[in-house]
Amino acid sequence: MTAPWVQRFALPVAILVLGLLALTSLGVGDMRLGPARICAGLLHRDDLAATVLWNIRLPRMLVAMLVGAALAASGLVMQAYFRNSLASPGLLGVTSGGAAGAVVMIGLGWASASIFVLPVAAICGALMATGMVVLLARRGASTERLLLAGVALNALLGAVTSYVLSNFTLTYERNAKILFWLLGGLEDRNWEHVAMASPIVIAAALLWPLGRPMDLLSLGAREAQSLGVDVKRLRRSLLALSTVLTALATAVVGTVGFVGLIVPHLLRLIVGPEHKRLVPLTLVGGAAFVLACDLLGRTAGGLRVGIVTSLVGGPFFLWLLRRQA
Amino acid sequence: MATETAGVTALSVTNASVPGRLNNVSLSLAPGVLAGLVGPNGSGKSTLLQVAAGLLPSTGDVSWAGRDLSEILVPERGFLASWVPQEARFEFGFSVRSVVAQGRFASGDDERGVDEALRLFDLADLAQRPVNRLSGGERERVLLARALVTQAPLQLWDEPLAALDPKHALEVLMHAKRITRAGGTLLLSLHDLRVAYCLDFVVVLHEGRLRAAGPPEAVLTPELLFEVFGVRAKQTTGLTLELP
Repeated sequence: MTAPWVQRFALPVAILVLGLLALTSLGVGDMRLGPARICAGLLHRDDLAATVLWNIRLPRMLVAMLVGAALAASGLVMQAYFRNSLASPGLLGVTSGGAAGAVVMIGLGWASASIFVLPVAAICGALMATGMVVLLARRGASTERLLLAGVALNALLGAVTSYVLSNFTLTYERNAKILFWLLGGLEDRNWEHVAMASPIVIAAALLWPLGRPMDLLSLGAREAQSLGVDVKRLRRSLLALSTVLTALATAVVGTVGFVGLIVPHLLRLIVGPEHKRLVPLTLVGGAAFVLACDLLGRTAGGLRVGIVTSLVGGPFFLWLLRRQA
Repeated sequence: MATETAGVTALSVTNASVPGRLNNVSLSLAPGVLAGLVGPNGSGKSTLLQVAAGLLPSTGDVSWAGRDLSEILVPERGFLASWVPQEARFEFGFSVRSVVAQGRFASGDDERGVDEALRLFDLADLAQRPVNRLSGGERERVLLARALVTQAPLQLWDEPLAALDPKHALEVLMHAKRITRAGGTLLLSLHDLRVAYCLDFVVVLHEGRLRAAGPPEAVLTPELLFEVFGVRAKQTTGLTLELP
């Protein structure tokens, strides 16, 4: 079992790491900024630094953190819901559902009508995908069943995206925007995107007190109900929260895979499976992970964050499968 | 078919049916009764226990201590009745202690009685071990300890003895008797008819129907055993086990 001191210090350490990554993220780029200049820029005492920070790096950093927290928390919730540590929004097709919803809106040319169009379309797409996964998993959420359901859903939703790409009359701009969703990236994220992602904070706050009942649910729905958990209500809340978290993240940055799988899994190895600790830690850890992947991508010649998370997540997933076997 | 004292029932199931699994079963148990539920595989024992625990929708009525189940909110149910499943799948490595402490969820997670339950079920040395690395018998004892710490007056245990070695099975029966002596009511399903003979009350299910219910010596007759289980009962001088 995990040592008590590890459990106690994990969250403060994670917050410290996130802080350092945030500082590095603000400092690294074509124009390197040290801590003193970052402070001066944030306080508008250095005009050039202020322009770079307030217009480019700060919104990008905040979007990365919000999206990371959302995707990781969504994965954690799905793992507890399905009682399966391999469940995650990307593998189950929920991310593809959100992306398909967003892509259809871009294809129709409606995305620019309001900043709410993409998130709402992504939430609708993700909700449909979640509904289908829940229906498929009704007769048991074994690893094989969940993964096969995910394969089928990802293929189906991929076909929707391909249809939009190939059959809609598209302008160059719309085509580029759709490709952005498919690759997943943090480039050119501005304050409008931060605003679009901000409901993630509310969803995360609503998730916070559900940690303890999630412990009981992850050991079995009937057992949890027998111990006094209102399972029907809890499951509805968890599904809604995880879907909204995934959809908002996808609406803002496109499909960024494996965050919901890797982060909760690694943190569970460090602090144990109790959700009271895992929920806050996953929110912070997810934010740190996506921020670190973005930094890695930026320093490695401009790799998009979705590519970096997949490069890290693919081998990790194969390792997990081997470990489970 | 009931055990009742002065009209008070700890558990009452009336005309419960679950399509294909349970057919119009009625049952009532008085407080302080240790009852066994026997029947061949597929006779509906687990289904009846889940219906009685309010975990499986059925036609008919279920009431606990005279209160209709539909009037009891789920959070309150947690400290009125406790159900132990036949087997548990643990995906995540929660410690034994934390799983046992889940029994106090409905009572505000106060951890009252957790250490005592760990000791009673011989789990004190395993308290920090992840539950997904335990043997079947150890996992069963964890579930029973969790049920005990709920301190619920109605306990519904599905084949609690199936995975246990003789010593732990005897200890579980001893704890079961202690619960009922303190006024609790316990209905447990089991396959060992010799154990059923030691209980206060026996309920026999066959093909989803209630076949008989009453004191074991009146119910478990050679004729009924042959009819329900297809076995001939013989009195022998076998081995008698008891705790030191």
